[in-house]
Order: sequence, then C-alpha cells, then structure tokens
Amino acid sequence: MAKIKFKLNDKTVELESDINRRLLDVLRDDFSLTGPKEGCGEGECGACAVLLNQKIVNSCCTPLANVDGQEIVTIEGFSKTKRYQIIKDAFSEMGGVQCGFCTPGMVIAAESLLNKNPHPTDQEIRIALSGNLCRCTGYNMIVKAIKKAAKDGEGLW
Amino acid sequence: MKDISKSINKVDNEEKISGSAKYTADIKIEGMLFAMTLRSSIRKGEIKNISYPDLPKGYYIIDYKDVQGKNVVKVIFDDMPIFTEKKISYLYEPIALVIGPDKQKIVEIIDMIEIEYKEEEPLLAWTDSVLDYHFDKGIGLKAFDEADKVITYDYQTGYQEQAYIETQGFIGYPEGEKTTLIGSIQCPYYVKNALIQALGEREENVRVIQSTVGGAFGGKEEFPSLMGCQLAVAVKKIKKPIQLIYEREEDMLVTTKRHPAKINFEAAIKDNKIYGLKAKVGIDAGATIGLSGVVLSRALLACTGAYTIDNLDISGNVYRTNTVPNGAFRGFGAPQMMFAIEMFVEHIAQDLNINPLEFRNSIVAKQNDLTSTSGIYRDPILMPEMIEKAIEVSNYLEKKKTYSNPNIYKGIGMSYFFHGCGFTGSGEKDTIKARVKLRKTKDNKAEILIAAVDMGQGVKTTFRKLVANILEIGIEDVIFNNPDTDFVPDSGPTVASRTMMIVGGLVARATREIKKRWHEKEFIVEKEYEQPEYIKYDEKTFKGDAYPAYSWGVNVVEVEVDKTTYQVKIVKTWSVYDGGKAIDERIVFGQADGGLAQGIGYGYLEVMNHKDGRIQQKNMTDYIIPTALDMCDMETYLYDNPYAYGPYGAKGVGELTLVGGAPAVAKAIENAINKRVYKIPVTPEYIMELIDNGKN
Amino acid sequence: MVKSLIAKSLNQALEALDNHSYQIVAGGTDMLIQNRSHTGMPIGYKQDIIYINLIDELNYIKEDKENIYIGANTRLETILESDITPKILKDVILEMASPAIRHTATLAGNIGNASPAGDSLVVLYLLDCKLEIKSINNTRTVFLKDFITGVRKIALNNNELITKLIIPKTNFTNIYFRKVGPRLSDAISKLSFAGGYLIENNQIKDLRIALGAVYITIIRSREIEKEFIGITVDELVENKEKLIKAYEPLIKPIDDQRSNRNYRKKVALNLIKEFISKIEEA
Repeated sequence: MAKIKFKLNDKTVELESDINRRLLDVLRDDFSLTGPKEGCGEGECGACAVLLNQKIVNSCCTPLANVDGQEIVTIEGFSKTKRYQIIKDAFSEMGGVQCGFCTPGMVIAAESLLNKNPHPTDQEIRIALSGNLCRCTGYNMIVKAIKKAAKDGEGLW
Repeated sequence: MKDISKSINKVDNEEKISGSAKYTADIKIEGMLFAMTLRSSIRKGEIKNISYPDLPKGYYIIDYKDVQGKNVVKVIFDDMPIFTEKKISYLYEPIALVIGPDKQKIVEIIDMIEIEYKEEEPLLAWTDSVLDYHFDKGIGLKAFDEADKVITYDYQTGYQEQAYIETQGFIGYPEGEKTTLIGSIQCPYYVKNALIQALGEREENVRVIQSTVGGAFGGKEEFPSLMGCQLAVAVKKIKKPIQLIYEREEDMLVTTKRHPAKINFEAAIKDNKIYGLKAKVGIDAGATIGLSGVVLSRALLACTGAYTIDNLDISGNVYRTNTVPNGAFRGFGAPQMMFAIEMFVEHIAQDLNINPLEFRNSIVAKQNDLTSTSGIYRDPILMPEMIEKAIEVSNYLEKKKTYSNPNIYKGIGMSYFFHGCGFTGSGEKDTIKARVKLRKTKDNKAEILIAAVDMGQGVKTTFRKLVANILEIGIEDVIFNNPDTDFVPDSGPTVASRTMMIVGGLVARATREIKKRWHEKEFIVEKEYEQPEYIKYDEKTFKGDAYPAYSWGVNVVEVEVDKTTYQVKIVKTWSVYDGGKAIDERIVFGQADGGLAQGIGYGYLEVMNHKDGRIQQKNMTDYIIPTALDMCDMETYLYDNPYAYGPYGAKGVGELTLVGGAPAVAKAIENAINKRVYKIPVTPEYIMELIDNGKN
Repeated sequence: MVKSLIAKSLNQALEALDNHSYQIVAGGTDMLIQNRSHTGMPIGYKQDIIYINLIDELNYIKEDKENIYIGANTRLETILESDITPKILKDVILEMASPAIRHTATLAGNIGNASPAGDSLVVLYLLDCKLEIKSINNTRTVFLKDFITGVRKIALNNNELITKLIIPKTNFTNIYFRKVGPRLSDAISKLSFAGGYLIENNQIKDLRIALGAVYITIIRSREIEKEFIGITVDELVENKEKLIKAYEPLIKPIDDQRSNRNYRKKVALNLIKEFISKIEEA
C-alpha cells in the first residue's frame, strides 16, 4: 500500500492503494471510468488505451506504481475537448463504429497520432492503429475517419 | 420519396465513441458477487470423487446438484450438461461455479478443491460419426457412369475463433421471484428458453436483457445459454447479484469455434463440363453436437457454390471428438464449403486446360436454375454483370496474366459465392415462428418491440430508419431499446442473416398497419411470420427450397508473397454484392469491410489448432487476427436487386460478406506462387511446403 | 502480499537492491503479462517488486565520438524519435511494438526479460551492445552477449541494476533488420534477422549476422564472421554455400503455437542467402 497522486482528466487525485494494481482496474473500479475496457488483458488489443502524458498507453499493462505524479486522460476526459468533437464526427460520418468496444481506444490512438503528426498518410494511420484490434470494421472506415478528422481539425493539432 | 439506402449517422455512435455505452462488465450492482468456473483438468474420463473445502461465510459452490430443472442446455441438439455430473468429455469442461465477494479468495478455494478422476484415452480422430446426412439431385451418382473422366481432390479448413473484442459475460440478479440476467448475447430468447428448462421455472419468472454487445459473430449465439444457465442456477439459489465474465484466456479455451472441415470432391467430367459432383464432407463437432447438424446442413446446401451442377451426390458427417465444442460463427458451414468448391472448380478447369474464368462463367447459376436441393432460384441473379464490374474495377484480367510470371510474387484471386438468407428450410415456419410488436404511443411515436440484438451490425439504426421511413416521421420519433424479454416478443435469434429480411419484413408489415391507424391514440400491432406460399422444403430428403432468398457476391483480393519468408501481404480488395436493397448503404459497407476482413483472415492468417485436445492459441498474442496494417484499402459496390418479401427489397448481408474471402485470398496466393492450394489458412509454413513440393 | 517499492532515484533503487532481493519492473509491459492474475486483482507477482520506471536520471539518449548511450529507462518512443539513434534500431522498434507499447517499454526491460524472441536483442547483438551495470558500490560493463545466458536467464546479481546501454558507433555499407512475424505488426516473431556489412575497395571489412528465435539465445557467431572478413566480395559470393553451411548447425529452432522448426530453419537460411545477394548486388 502506498499513497499515489496523479492527474486524472485534469483533476489531481490521490489514493491509498496497492501499487501493484493495474491502472485499468483503478480507473474502472475506483473512479467508475468504464470507457477504457478490458479486451485481452495483455496489451494486444488496445481497448484499455488511455493517454499518459498525452501519449497512448495500455492501462492493462500499466501498474499503478508507474502513474505516480503523471498525467492520465481517459476517453471520459478527452471527450470534453474540441479535438474529440472533430474525431467523433469523423468516426460517425465515415462509419468507423460498429460494436463500439474498441472505439474509445481507437479514438485515443487517433488523438495520440494527430498530436504528434497532424497530417498523417494512410500508412502512418495504419501504423498508429496497429496496437488496437477491431474485429468488426476491417479498419477501412476507421482509417478514413482519422484521415477526415485530420483534415477537418486543421490547426487544432 | 428519398432513397432509403442513403446513409445516416448510426444512432448509437455518440455513446459508443464517448465510452459511455454500458457493456456487461461496465454494470455494477451493489453487493455484487463474482463467479469463477471450476473446470476439468482431463480430456476424457469420469470424476470419481470431488471434495470441496469448508467455505468461508459468504462463499458458495454451485454444481449439478443445484440444478432444479433439467441439467442440460437447451440448444438445438440438447447434449451439453449445464454442469457435468461425472462424465468428462473435453478439457476444461465446467464442473461448478465458485462464488463470493473476493476474487482472490475464490481462486484460493478453487485451488483447494480436490478432484479424483478416472482418466480415459481421448478420442481425437474423426471416427465417431453422430450425424449422417445424404441427398442427391438429378441422376445423382449415375452421372459418373457417363463420365469421360473423374477428377478428385481433398480440401481442408481449420478452426476459426470469433475473437469478439468483448469476452462473454453475464450479470444475474434476483427480482422477487424472478431470476434476471443481463448479458452480452445475440439471442435473448435462446437464453430465456434455456433458463426456463434449467430452473424448472415458469416463463414469467425468468427475464433476459441484452446489454450493449461488443461483437459476437455467432460466438454469442448458443454459447451464452450455457453460461446463462449456470449463473441463473446460482442466482436463484444464493439470491444475490452475481457477475460471471470470462477473461480472454478462458474465453478462447472453452467457447465454441468454427468447425474444422474436410471435404472430398469427385467430379464427373463429360464434354469438358462438370456433369456430376460427389461430395463427402466431415466436420468436427467437438465434445457435444449442439448446432453441428445445422452447420453441416448449411455446408452441404452450398456444395455447388455459385454454380449450377445438374447431378449431385452429397453426403456429410458430424464427428464427435474429445475437444472443445464447436458452434456458430458467421457463415455457419458455408465458408468451409465455399472455399472448397471455389478451389475445386478452379482446379478442374486447370486440369482440363480450360481458362478458369471462362469455365466458371459458363456454369454460374441463373434465374430459374435448380438449386442443390432441386429448389428454384426464383429471383433474378445479377452475377454476370457483378463479375464484369469486379473484373473492371480491379483490372483483374491484366493483373492475373502479369502475375502468372513465376518470378513475380504477386497474385490476384476472385471468388464467386452466395449465401442463403434466413433459417435453413422450414426453420422459420416450424421452429422460430417469429413474432414482432409495434406500439403507437400517445405522443405520436412508434416503439419497436423485437428481440433482435444490435451487436455492431447496426440493427438499432436500420430498424428505426425503416419504421421512420414508412411512417414518414423523424428517426427520433421511433423508439428501439435493447431487447428485454419482459417487454418484447420472440422475434427469433439474431443469426442467419435473417434480421432485416425476416424480422425487418415483419416490422415493415406492422408499420404499414400502424400508418393506416395513425390517428388512433395508443395501440399495439402484432405480426407473425408467414412463409411465402411457394417455399416448400423437406428437411429429411433435402428437397425443395432451402432458403426463401439468396444473396450473391464477388470478391477480388490482390496479394504479394515474400519469396524469402513466404509472408503474405494483402494489397487491396474489391467486392461486389447483391444484398437485395441496402437499408443503409454505409452500414452495408461496414458489414462488407468487416466480413471480408474476417473471411480473408480465415483464409491466410488465423491459425488455431489443438494438440491432443488442448487448444494451442489461448490468447490474442498467439491467435492472430488482422491489424490495421495487415488490412488494406477495400472497395465495395452494391447492386440493387429487391426481394419481394424483404423490407424495401432487403435480403441478408451479414454472413455473405465473409464467405468469399478465404477462396479469393487462396486463389490470389495460388496466382502468386503458381502452386495449388488445398487447405486454409494458407500460412507461410504451408506456402513454403507448396513452393518446395506443391503441384503447379 | 508481496512487498513493493517505487524508486524515484538511482541511489534509492541501488540502496534498496542492496538491502533486499527484488524483482525489477521497468515499463511493465512484459512483467504484467507474465504475472497476470485476474481482472480487478493486483498483479500476481511471486517476488517482491521494485518499480524503477520513474527514475528520471536513467531516461536519456546521448552520444560521444565512440558510442551512443541509452539510459535504462528511456522509452522505445524516445529512442525512435532521437536523431542519434541508428536507423536499424529505429526499424526494429517500429516493427516490434505498437505505439502504446513504445510509449511504455524500454530496451533495458527487453534485455532483463531475455526472451529469445525479443526482436531488439537481435539488433543489439549485431551492434555489439554493452551494458553498464551498477550496484551500490560498483559499476561494471559487460557485453550483452555475455549477459544473457539462456531463455529468460541473465547474469545480474541481486543487488545490481542495468543502468545504460552502450552502443559502439560502427560504419556499415548496409545494415538492416527483418522481422518474420505471424502478421505485419504487433506480434511476437517466429524468427528475426539482422545483418550488416562494410565494403571498402571491394573487400569485406566487416560482416555481421544475428538471428533471433531459432535457438535458446540470439545466434551471432564471430568465428564464422571472421572467416569471411578480409576476403573480396567475389570470394564471398563464391563461398556463399560454405557460409550458409556454417550457420546451419547453429540454427536449432523449435515447434510451438506460432510456427514450426522446418519453417524457422528454412527461412533463417533464406534470410542469410538474401543477405549475401544484397552484398552481391551492392
């Protein structure tokens, strides 16, 4: 047990907890943030993705210990931003959502990519999504959605 | 009136993109306990003795002794126990649930349970035939008497795992006398009916609700009935809310998969044409029969692929082995057969030294031809123009020729295929008997009351759109909540590419009636399935119209093969489909992309096998599904070909989009390496063997 | 319950390690999977744990004339984005890990984990990577090849920590990495290959070959390499079969859920052939 303090969706939070817990469980069980989801539990599928210091990580492979003093943004926090609105509209209009289980992770991956590279090529988008599995869409429309978001959100990233 | 196919944004986009949609694991109930499953550690044998430890307060073990109704899961063939009593027939067969508030404690309790087995040698060979089907067409085997020559080949397909990203799960809780389950399911009434039998309860004391479903693909068709029964037995006894959710490894090791198949074909060749076809098909059911008979039927019915062959002798067997039970998966027997027949027809043409494309085009099914079961293809078949379109947009002819050069490791492959829409034969009329309700509310809205599940395929959007369009009201004035068996009638399972065509057809009928009575304040309209008069099918003899309608498709896949490592890269795909009429084009495109990705994955990438009855790929690290980098730009074209009984002419598209992927990618690889492919997945290991020793 | 500790400075970590035996966790991407328990439960470590991920002083990449130095806590992404990272190391990082893993995992973590399928190890072996290893009273430098002693076995004392990677700057005419995975990204390799050579005046000045996942550790044979260094390109091409034959007995792959030994062996040899062809073409 230890005291852990970190920034979560723009608020500083503190908890006394077992530092060997997975960040995913802490987010879901202690903060009721159920946007990040467990798909595989071993860093393959990306359904649990969150932003750690603005970069995508898998919260199922992140021990609480590694979060101390860092900044975490989940889909719940990101959904308050203008950039989210652009990505959301693009996913909607390009048909990037089917069952939706991978979608929050895909959105986080898109944000992490656009943050670094606001004008990605198709191939760069595919590389950026390579740690996020989707079984419904074949990725075609997700790639198109991110391309559209990059265009529609010109200047935001 | 505007064209219904014009796309709108899906109604559940907002909640899914923002992460606020509640899937089963996202639902928390005060005081909820956790359940974990105690499973067998042997593949075959008997439990001689089992000793449970003394349980701490608040912990429970639930096993067969707690089942008050029948200890068998109601599926189609009822041979799977809810909890085994003694007999073990596959590895990790469920024995009991261990339940309590703390998972760590549950794990400790499971570790303390001692089981003494009498172990037997498992049966893994395909020798125990439990179902045996046969039918013929035309003069059947006699065709071979007149043959100039007989060509025969064997084809083989492997397991495929649904790999929905959300694993299987339920939460159960008591509501007074009632046992209620909420879960990730395709078929609320399959679960409800199974629960009634397992609990020995009255219908009104069992309630099943669908939560948001994170992918299913057939994997959540019959398997949830097993989990649901186990959990319901526990909830009824303990009278507390309980969560039973599988983690990925458990899900991969114990849930149903696509049946591996072996198919032997013999063709009677006369005047350089296929005069007769004999097929012997075997599928591996695993330890229980379950849906295997129906899967085999669908495979056999698809034996001619998208072609017409006059004389058939078709037989098939379901084999029982001591391996994990197999079950429903998008395509349901058709993907196995479609791979085999597409390869066989190509290989026949090559053996006869005829241009395969011309050979295939000359035998493509036409309107009024007889189906494999001597039914009639009653509706127009647009395959010739669809094939032409696919050839044109993919530049197939030129690429095929260029890539035949053995030094260019590139290839292009094209598959033709169909899918029978709805339940096989008289299933809709005799077994399912779908009922739908539609409510006109006081405030001039329409509420759809059906048991169809949106598992990502867009049912919530397309049904609301359908009703709104007929009533000429806004989509926001149509209500469609996740099915809850306390409120919706049994419109049948969400399977078999039947939802829009059959259930949508009924909803459209009900809507038209509502429209006529719109001035009335509040009322409910109910409709029941009526089989079109002309559909006649005899299940025993396999004679007649096996399906009310057929959807058709053409896939073209282009690949590159690495000559050093034999790895395959998918370059691009082109698809042309006739699904009747799209209720929403973008949603159909989504089905097209996702279905083809699964079909292609089945064809070249997704390896699953068992070693002595143990599944080798038990997580998403070892079971490889395509990532965004493995897939490519996908182009899809839709042809309207309205079916009279489907709403706006819609037929089925969900499964259609999967069945052509494997043969298309397999043929593309054949083109790239100039060797013949006889089994899927066409892995780099297999490509290496083919390049070294394969047949040209 | 295991005891666990977050170290925020190198000194704190070394002191802790000196006083108690800990399992070291860096990014955690491998350790969490290997010790996974159940959803909602803490990670099921079997030993006491020290987390070193937040030690900032070990997070750097820098260079001098001879070497590139990568701190043990430097994330793959940082290495990927640095101008001083050799291209082959960037290639391997891009191919071995998804963005989420790149933002978390470290090369030192890969080394500590010593998986024979670890792609980065193949390249680090090729580059003659050395490690700096510290304990509270001592600093030593060891070749990576001597540090990894078997499958998941490393020569690290209980009181020691890997603190940096030292990669000598070497001149190559061409150097490249090839991953053979079950799909094109984000997957554990069936095998992997790295090769590099230097040609001056038509003479082979340097020649290196490393292979991953075809033996219990990475294969790199300086003996074989030596035999072919100093000859001309033509002589190398003439002796191509001899070189391949020399590697053949070293390649002893296994059958597993990802591939089989015949494939691994044949493709490993194909990759060596391809490498020689590249020299021939150049």
